[in-house]
Amino acid sequence: MVCVDLSTCPTFWASLGAGLSVLLSAIGAGLGIGISGPAIAGAGVERPEVMLKTFIATILAEALAIYGLVVGLLSIFAIPALTTIEGGTRIFAAGLTMGAASLGAGFGIGAAGSAMASATAEKPDIFSRAVISLILAEALAIYALVTALLLVFGAK
Amino acid sequence: MVSDTLSHLLRDNYLIARLRGKRSNLLGRQQLIALSESKSQTEIIGLLAEGPYGAELSKLGSESSTIETERAVRLGYADSVMSLIRASGGDTHEFLIQYRRRSDAYAIAGLVVFKAQGKTWEDYLATRQPLALMNEQELHRLYSLDDLSIIVREAGDRHLVERMKGFSMTDIEGEKASLVRDVINGWGEERFYEYINEKLSGPDRENCLPIAGSAIDIANLTLIVRSKIIGASGIKDHLIPSHWKLNQRAIDQLLAATDVAQALDVAASHEYYSRILSGARQKYEESKSLSFIEVALRRYQLDLGRRVFLGFPYSVGIVLAFLILKENEARNLAAVLAGVAAGLPTDELRSLLALQD
Repeated sequence: MVCVDLSTCPTFWASLGAGLSVLLSAIGAGLGIGISGPAIAGAGVERPEVMLKTFIATILAEALAIYGLVVGLLSIFAIPALTTIEGGTRIFAAGLTMGAASLGAGFGIGAAGSAMASATAEKPDIFSRAVISLILAEALAIYALVTALLLVFGAK
Repeated sequence: MVSDTLSHLLRDNYLIARLRGKRSNLLGRQQLIALSESKSQTEIIGLLAEGPYGAELSKLGSESSTIETERAVRLGYADSVMSLIRASGGDTHEFLIQYRRRSDAYAIAGLVVFKAQGKTWEDYLATRQPLALMNEQELHRLYSLDDLSIIVREAGDRHLVERMKGFSMTDIEGEKASLVRDVINGWGEERFYEYINEKLSGPDRENCLPIAGSAIDIANLTLIVRSKIIGASGIKDHLIPSHWKLNQRAIDQLLAATDVAQALDVAASHEYYSRILSGARQKYEESKSLSFIEVALRRYQLDLGRRVFLGFPYSVGIVLAFLILKENEARNLAAVLAGVAAGLPTDELRSLLALQD
């Protein structure tokens, strides 16, 4: 499809959505890893035995980038079949939803993960309770992933 | 405030995680009580071999003196603080440097008292504060000076010079030596308090101020009570001008007390410090020493530190709280080592320890 006016071009909006999904999710993941990583390292220096389990914070943060990539790739695969501007904006909304949610979840995972690593370094038996806030922060991104997938699959 | 919190979250979480881990390795109440029941220093050193003091204590020979063992404990404590300083950055690093500056006052106080008592440089060196910023060369130069006012001028600032007026090397002995030591130590505590009061804000200031503030208040209280013991007049000129909860009115009441017992009664009825100084008069009459005031302050600061650890995790208060806990552990350990070596009865030895409830 050749677009004359970008504001009404479905390919433009869908491409922007795909890009935002990957970009913002990667920033969110970077924040999560960047904030929790040093705390995990600090906890590991004093208590090497807790380091492996506190790595869950960086794994969950990394998952945000994967969610963003999944939405981005599905959006790219959907672009050739787009015929209406509504379809393009649906994919844009999906990308924005996934990206913005990953940013917030990334900050949450970073802060909660850092506190979890510190608390586990002090009292290792607190880990199973401290990890709950981390999982709840990750859940925010999963809500956005479900919404974004529904938006992408419904785009025509 | 938000920017301070964000900077602690982004920059200091490595340090905060490390010191939370270190906190779990501090000697607990039961461990210290068990150590105080030891029969000899060798037994204590054996029990501590695996812990953070192990590296320094393992260097000691079987016939080590109490001074050498205490120095090993101090070095173990200093190593721990230095590793935190190396791991810190930005404002937190500056905070830790200010904390180290506080040790300079302790180094100068020790120097003045040792010098006045005619002890050698080697004697002083064995007991000096390893955390002080002043290096050995600088301290050696100060030790070679004989005039107290010159030592104070070179090592301190105009506030310390003003506060030390009226003292001379020839009359520093007994309780007066303790008074001079308290004046200099108080000056160090005041510098740290002023730094927290003026340079920190938000949760950083809120968490640190009670710890530093109580230190200067109790330093003033100790100075006044000690001046009553030796019958010194004009103590007002040697007091710390800053105050936290012990305001001018309370200080005037303490100064107006006719003797030690009355001053301690005034302190015990203070609206804020009654919580840590209740029964002060009786404790003094039983021990004829003011060391219970220092122990009471340390116990109070331990409680403040515990509360800081339970609160919001991203503030420099966590760093200070850990330092207070670590310093207290080193002091308790030094007291146990000295007490066991001197053959103190267990009950008497325990009264010198600041243990958390």
